[in-house]
Formats: sequence, structure tokens, C-alpha cells
Amino acid sequence: MTTTATPTRPVPDIEQADYNPKSESVAAKRTKSGIFHAVTLALTCVVLYPALWMVASAFKPNSEIGGANTSLWSNNFSFDNFLTAMDGIGGVSTLTFFTNSLVLALGAVIGTILSASVSAYAFARIKFPGRSILFGMMIATLLLPFHVVIIPQYIVFQQLGLVDTYVPLLIGKFLAADAFFVFLMVQFMRNLPAELDEAARIDGAGHVRIFTAIMLPLMKPALISTSIFSFIWSWNDFLGPLLYLNTPEKYPLPLALRLFVDQTQSSDYGAMIAMSVLALLPVLIFFLVFQRYIVEGVSTQGLKG
Amino acid sequence: MIDRRNFLTTVAIGSAAAAALAACGAPAASQTGSAANPVTINYTWWGNDDRAERTRKAIALFEAKNPDIKVNGNFTDFAGYWQKRATEAAGGGLPDVMQWDLSYLRDYGQRNQLLDLSTVKINTDAFDKSLLPSGQIKGKTYGIPTSTNAFAVYYDPAKLASLGIAEPDGTWNYKEFNAFLAEVGAKGNGALFGGTDYTSVWWMFNVWLRQNNIEAFTEDGKLGFTKDDLKKWWNTTADLRGTPAIISEERFTQLAPKSPFGSNVTGSEVTWDNFMASYLGDSGAKELKLVPVPSDDPDNLGLFLKPSMLMVASAKTKNKDAAARFIEFMVNDPEVGQIFKTSRGVPASKTQRDGTTFEGTDKLVVDYEKSIEKYLKDAPEPPIVGFGTLEASFKRISSDLNYGKLSVDGATDAWFKEAEDLIKQNA
Repeated sequence: MTTTATPTRPVPDIEQADYNPKSESVAAKRTKSGIFHAVTLALTCVVLYPALWMVASAFKPNSEIGGANTSLWSNNFSFDNFLTAMDGIGGVSTLTFFTNSLVLALGAVIGTILSASVSAYAFARIKFPGRSILFGMMIATLLLPFHVVIIPQYIVFQQLGLVDTYVPLLIGKFLAADAFFVFLMVQFMRNLPAELDEAARIDGAGHVRIFTAIMLPLMKPALISTSIFSFIWSWNDFLGPLLYLNTPEKYPLPLALRLFVDQTQSSDYGAMIAMSVLALLPVLIFFLVFQRYIVEGVSTQGLKG
Repeated sequence: MIDRRNFLTTVAIGSAAAAALAACGAPAASQTGSAANPVTINYTWWGNDDRAERTRKAIALFEAKNPDIKVNGNFTDFAGYWQKRATEAAGGGLPDVMQWDLSYLRDYGQRNQLLDLSTVKINTDAFDKSLLPSGQIKGKTYGIPTSTNAFAVYYDPAKLASLGIAEPDGTWNYKEFNAFLAEVGAKGNGALFGGTDYTSVWWMFNVWLRQNNIEAFTEDGKLGFTKDDLKKWWNTTADLRGTPAIISEERFTQLAPKSPFGSNVTGSEVTWDNFMASYLGDSGAKELKLVPVPSDDPDNLGLFLKPSMLMVASAKTKNKDAAARFIEFMVNDPEVGQIFKTSRGVPASKTQRDGTTFEGTDKLVVDYEKSIEKYLKDAPEPPIVGFGTLEASFKRISSDLNYGKLSVDGATDAWFKEAEDLIKQNA
């Protein structure tokens, strides 16, 4: 791969370059850019190889995946793994797992957007007693590893009889428990000029009006980055659903994926990989649709208002 | 803008909603059910798609025969299974009936999370008396074995034939076994190794200790063997390490998570007989055979049947009677045997074993266990708390031995230190 990407352009003739300094700089620039592209392409190949391996393995028979098999492509190309994967597990169809994942992920996006933006508005724009202490406490929850709170949380939901529902997985999102997103939005809002609020206030707008008519539209980039991250995190979450869901009909994809591999029995790596490829598609599509906003969101957040 | 009155209303609505939700979820406590109003028990197991399908059939059969009980099935993978159980145990919400692994029995049993099954009615007459103690701790029965497995040496007859090596008959001592590994490695010409280093497998060490009439753990949970025993064990294959008789540790790691034997890189493997289906699937071999492990004392092979899994009930279950009936059904019913075949291991109950027709692969495993029947000794007691860690460190330290990072003496000291620390912690 590296050899094909190496620039074939000859090194510029130094003698000639002496006569024309302008062209020298162009040629040198081109060489530099050529080398730069070659190196980045090579790195991309390295980074993308696992993904390529996954896609290639999805079309291989189970006995040719991993172990002593090192070739990327197989001669026994087949769609069998996808058929097995779509067959479902233990009487639950794969479509159910997809729907469940989608419900959880969209629920997480909606909940996070609604709750985090309102909380962020309060922290960034309203002066109330104890604001900085509360903000500090919220940031402190970022430092608390999830594993520390698992058992107390489980006991609370167990006592409330909410185990085996989606409530434990979604309620936190609707209550702005993801401090990271609140923090992200607070920082974003602080950079928006305060003069806008003041102007609105003079015109008689209250907090609700300022929030919906002025802040929300301006926060679009931050809202979109939040959506993307909370979608992906929820889509990939394994531990939460594992602990709180008891009925296979309610399982999301990450739980279902694990069921193809069982070290204590036989493992169907082919079906698992095929299903991983399918499971990646929604995230990939979500990302492709919104990716230009991510870049926009990141660059806007860098601006100082 | 939220003023104080609105705020109070919101809080009031919020708490009312929470209370309503809580009321919805409160479980109904009842001991007995009827066909019209069945009691529901939760049953959970680990395993793949195949086991889920078989278990679903077994549950349907149970519900048809017991219209007063409804069973809610739920399954996860093995690793997730124990994370979930640990959280549930801490939160007091273990399911009524659970499939269980021997290495977790003492841990949960000692913490009073499991029901003493001798207090409920479960018929164990069809069980081999040497097997039941493996589910008992200090006189209490926490688990009933569903099925058994035994230690064996696997080989692929086709591969041996192609190298011109005679098939072993399983009457061999360690010297002969080592010679066999060396021969396969030498004739395999780099493509086929003899096997993996069998001294790195804890259970094989356990078998060897039993061949020498030593128990791995004493009754009070201490180590029953000395450093010299372990040194002697690890020296058994000292001459083979680094030769083609034993697959190198680097290669072993590259092949993970597949086994070298399943990847067709070794000619033999020493492990539990229930790996048959997985090896056949991974390797694509037509036929694999099982023979007994080597022993220097031909009358004592140190072999025993180990429960491949057990059925346990939660100590907090509200439906003890229903749970007991379900456990009895799962371990004894011949039709359940017919559904699972050997996918859980060889059925432990004679009623279930006799009611099942075994064919092909299943028959190989059942026949193997029958062939070693006369050598079988009592199953060991449930392993000590933290046994999983000890087993893992046994493997890890053995692999350092194979990498040449540790000498046998150094490895022995390292393992003993870890083991003694762990036993002290859990005492």
C-alpha cells in the first residue's frame, strides 16, 4: 500500500530551481504535500485495517475466522453469517434487538437534549444562590466512575420495581444526569454574547422566551454534537442494559452480540461479526449525516465571544 | 420562569408519579399457584443461541406439565452473567432459579445467597453418590448437578494417520505421553505441534495430585499440597518446553480466543470432554477421539466427574416449592435429557441419561465417561472462594514459565505467594 502511494514525481532539479525561485517553492511544496499524503494514507490503512478485517470476516465461514487463519479474504465467500445473524437468538428476532437499541438511543438523545440544554441555560444565564457550588458538584460527578454507583443505583431501581424496564436506562438522560453534556453546553452558552439576552429582556422577553427564541437556535452546533455522542454512547452501552434488563425481548444489540460467542460451548464468530457489521450501520449513517455539524460544533466552540 | 408555587406543584406531581410507578412494580407475594392463576418464577442461564433454543423447549414442556407454574426465562453470555449476578446479589434481587457454575458455588453459598435445597423436595435418587458432594458445603446442599464432564486427552485420528503415528490407547504414563507429544511435534515439521503444555492447566494438576493421593485443598480451605509437589509437576514437561512437542506461548497467544487444537495447530489437547462439539466446529475435523489422561499408577487415573453446571435457587425466592419442582424437572426428566443431549455435559441423573438417545458426537462423550467409570473417585468439594483467580494465575505463571521469564522454582514461589495471600484475604 505504501509503495503505490509514494509520490512518483521526480525530485525537482536543484540547478533549475536556482534560476526560478518561485517554481522551486511550488515544487517543494508539492513534494512535501505528496509525502504528507503518502504518510497519512499509510496511517489510514493501518487504522482502518481492523474495520476491513471485520467486514471481510463477515463473509467467511466460521472455521476460517481467527485462529491460524491469517488471510484477509476467503475463497468460500458466502452470506451465511448474515442469514444466521438475522435469524435471531432463542426465538427473539434480530429486528427486535435493533428496534430496542433504536428506542433506547433515540430516547437518550431526546432526553439529553431537553434536559441538558435547560440545565445549562440555568447555570450559564440565571444568577441564583448556590449556583457555583451546584455547578461544582455537577462537575464532581464527572469524576465519579460509573462502577462506584452501580450497586446503590441498582438497589434504588430494584426497590422501586423498575428493573426490567427502560426507566433506569433513560431516566438519567431526562434528568440531565450526564454532567458532561451539561458542561459542554454551559461552556458553549457562556461564549454567546450577553448583549443578545439583554436586548431581548429590554423587549420584554422572559427566560422561557430567551431560551427558546434566542439560545436554542444559536446552540445548534452544541446540540448536534451532544446528539451524536449520546446516540453513539447509548447504542454501544453494554453494562446498563445487562444489569437492568431481564427479558430477552427487551435486549438491545450489544447484549445480543455477546450471545453468539460462548467460550464454555461453541462460538459462532461469523454470525457475531456479521451482526456487528449490521449494528455498525445505523451509527455510521447517523455519523455521516451529521458529521459536518460535528466539525462545525467543535470549531464554533473554540471561538471566544 | 419557575416560581415557588409552580415548583411545589412539580415536586408534588413528580413524587406522585414515582409512587405510582413503585406501586406498579411491587411483586405479588404468593406461595402456591393454580392453573387459572399460576405463580411465576424467573429462571436464568448463560449460553449461546443453541442453548437458548433448547432451554425454551424445556420450559415449554415444563409449563405444559405444570400449568400452575409459569417460568420467565432470561439469558446472557458467561462473563456478563456473573457481573449481573453480583449486582443482583448486592441488591437482593437474584432470580428464583439459576444455572450455576461450580467455581461460584462456595462464594454465593457462604454469603447465604443460595437456598439450601435439602430443605425442599428434590429427588436425587438417580444421582451417583460420588457426585452430589460437589454441590454441598458444610452439610448444606446448594446445587444439584445437571450434568458432568471428565478430563480427557483429545486427538484427531486423521492427522496422526497422515504423520504415520499409531493412535494412543490411553494406557500411558507421563513419560510415554511426553514421548507421544515429542513424536507428533517432530513429525509435524513446524506445521503441527504435539500439544499445549498440559502442566499449565490447573485441573490436570489436580488430577495428577489425586493420582498421588493428595487433595488440592484441605477441608478448612487451605492448600493441600507443598511447593515440592508443584515443582515436581512443572518439571514434568521441562524437557519439552521450547521444542515442537509444545506449542510456543507466542503462537498460543496469537491464536486466542481460539484454542490451538481447534485451529489445527496441535495434534492433541488435554481438557474436559465437553469441549468436543466446540473443537469439531472450530477445526472442521471429521472425527476426534478421547482417551484417558496419563498416569504413573495404572490403577489410579485420578479421574472424577465434575458437575459441568448445577441448578441453584435464590435464598430469597418466594416460590420455593415451584423452584424445587422446576429444578427437579430440569435435572431428572428424561425428555429434558432428550432436548439437551450432551450440550450441558453428560446428564448426571441416571433417569435422564437412560431416557436420552445419544448419537454421533454425543455418543463419543458418553462412551468415554462410561469407559472410565471404574477409575472414578469422589468429586472434589466446591472450590474455595477466589478459586477463579487462583486458576487464572496458575495459567498466567505457567505461561511465564513457557516464555522462559521464570524458572520452575521462581514460578512456584510466585504462585504460592499469590495463593496464600488470596486464601488469607478470604479467610
